[in-house]
Amino acid sequence: MFNYSMAESVIEIKNVNKFFGDLKAVDNISLTINKGNLFGLLGPNGSGKTTTVKMLTGQIKPSSGEMNVLGVDVLKDPIKVRELVGIIPELESPPSFLTGEEYLNFVASIRKIENPEKKINEWFNFLEFGNERKVLCKDLSRGTRQKLMFAQAFLHEPAIAFIDEPLINLDPIMQYKVKNFLKDYISKGNTIFLTTHVLEFAESVCTNLAIIHHGRLLYAGNMKDIKKKKISLEKFFLEKVKN
Amino acid sequence: MFWEMIKEEWRIHSTLFGNLIFALFPLLILALSFGLSLLYPLISNAISANNFWLIVHYFFLIFGVIVGGFGLLGKEFMNRRFGQESLIAYSSRSLPVSEWNIFLNFFFKDLLYYFILWILPIFLGLFLASPIISISFNALLLLFSVFLSFMLGLSASFILSSIYSYSSKFLIFILIIISIPLFFAKLNLNFLYLLPSYSLFINFSCTNLLFSILIISWFSFISLFFLRIDYNSGSRMFNNWFNNFNKFLKNSFVSKDLLDLHRSEGGLGKIIFSFIFPLALVWVLLFFFFSILPTGNFFLVFSILLGIICSSMYNWLTEFEVFSSYEFLPVKTSKIIISKFISYSFLNLVAVFILIIACIQSNSLNYFFHGLFALIVSSYYTLATTVFLTGLYPNILIYNPKIMLSYLVISMIVPVLLISVSLINPDLLLLSPLIMLINYFLLKASLAKWDSWNKFQL
Repeated sequence: MFNYSMAESVIEIKNVNKFFGDLKAVDNISLTINKGNLFGLLGPNGSGKTTTVKMLTGQIKPSSGEMNVLGVDVLKDPIKVRELVGIIPELESPPSFLTGEEYLNFVASIRKIENPEKKINEWFNFLEFGNERKVLCKDLSRGTRQKLMFAQAFLHEPAIAFIDEPLINLDPIMQYKVKNFLKDYISKGNTIFLTTHVLEFAESVCTNLAIIHHGRLLYAGNMKDIKKKKISLEKFFLEKVKN
Repeated sequence: MFWEMIKEEWRIHSTLFGNLIFALFPLLILALSFGLSLLYPLISNAISANNFWLIVHYFFLIFGVIVGGFGLLGKEFMNRRFGQESLIAYSSRSLPVSEWNIFLNFFFKDLLYYFILWILPIFLGLFLASPIISISFNALLLLFSVFLSFMLGLSASFILSSIYSYSSKFLIFILIIISIPLFFAKLNLNFLYLLPSYSLFINFSCTNLLFSILIISWFSFISLFFLRIDYNSGSRMFNNWFNNFNKFLKNSFVSKDLLDLHRSEGGLGKIIFSFIFPLALVWVLLFFFFSILPTGNFFLVFSILLGIICSSMYNWLTEFEVFSSYEFLPVKTSKIIISKFISYSFLNLVAVFILIIACIQSNSLNYFFHGLFALIVSSYYTLATTVFLTGLYPNILIYNPKIMLSYLVISMIVPVLLISVSLINPDLLLLSPLIMLINYFLLKASLAKWDSWNKFQL
């Protein structure tokens, strides 16, 4: 089992497997992630990243193993886990016939956030799309929809956010803003679980990371350890995956 | 593209149920048709062979009308039907293929599927039962004429929905003009015999054949000519109605449902084409039935059938949704199902309005409360059965033969009981709200069943 710190753990995965028919999508993964980390799960396409996130957030059931998020047994109470965490899913999908503003109010209502207007306005200002707040989600550009998905995931200021390719479709200015936001967010004691293909992004923000390939965990450790080796994350990643 | 779409449609269903189970679906329909045909001798004294064939042809006509409404298709229908799946229907985005070409292929693919999954099996069931029930007919001619009936219904629905997509007000104006004389005048049922496909079957002639084909071609041509596939009219903007609705309703999902209904393509058209239009045909057919049957109360039987047809509104409510957008939120499946029940109750007000019109039209004011109870009980019972068997996916799971068979058997228990009671002693219908207890327990069992684990995705 990979456990690289004695600090307070907020995500624990023990011997988790997931089969889709005969295909073993996740192969006996064990992992512990601590509070205040920006953890990156990296891997090629189809390596099991999204399946792992979906299992951790109670969206799909593992075939075997144990998972614990913020002290909650995911198998026993998946709804409680989703109550506590924020999620940006792999595919952005705000409901077609609500406006951006209505969608954030809808999420606030589900998450029982009282007087959400102030927070919603802050997100519109921060991500600079307040002028599109009244537009139906189906008529928004992909980038704006991604902003909306970003805002909904952080609206309730979750202790952990699971974010899948958060920079996708965002322009460089917005990418810069989001990177700084994520660094600032973990400095307040929150945790981010990031999955991405963009190694440069992972290298610039992650404090810890793991590499997954064919459902198996190949590496888990600190970003500092990799930097000590004086090689880029890209080279490190390719070496691990090729081996 | 056509054959690729056929393969794609097959795989959509077969990946859910398996090749064998999906392939069994037409066999189930055949068996049901065979079984129902065997009941004909029981009613042959009251219904002559010619009237029986008339009913068969109108059944296919109504089926065509329900399947129709293609003018309302657009991209939204495809989105609702297939969610975020990447399908050939979306090829125009990346390949040099026109939307019109894709739509035509899609249309004929659906037509072939309906023929193989429904029309042919129903015909074969009747055909196989015919020697046992001693009824003879020209099999090929019947297959052709019932297909024509289906096409007539389909093309009629198609043309009206195309008009609707241009001007809903104009369509409503046409419907009002047609319905006013029908409401005030006593129905002369002889016009029912003028159905061209039926005339063709009873009295085959080139004129009848030509007439049927001309009507279908004319309707289809005009509809295709005016077809609007892309409804993209730029960015639509709205004030925050959600908050206003939610403050009043205290249920964010119901508020969202009402906004979805209002803002999605069709809107009122969905009520007209999926509900009022087929219902009007059922009304006319029921009038016909009661004109030849020796007993029964038209209004009460209509109320019960209205309740059954009402349950189709649950299909719209679930079709609008892409349930994967709830997967990452702390929402239980049961919460969504309950909210659909509430939204369904709002939509049932349309049915109550129709019931009042039917009550006045049929001079049945003495039986208004009998009919109202019958409507509510049969509507919620059929809905509870649908939810129990199919959860949030009635439009998909119904193609599983096991679920389809269970649905047909279970959902008919209470309506048959209510119809029988209405024939024996209509006053007993005043006790029918007791059946709501069954509906309550069925719903409770449904919530437990669909909450057992996340069921947002099949």
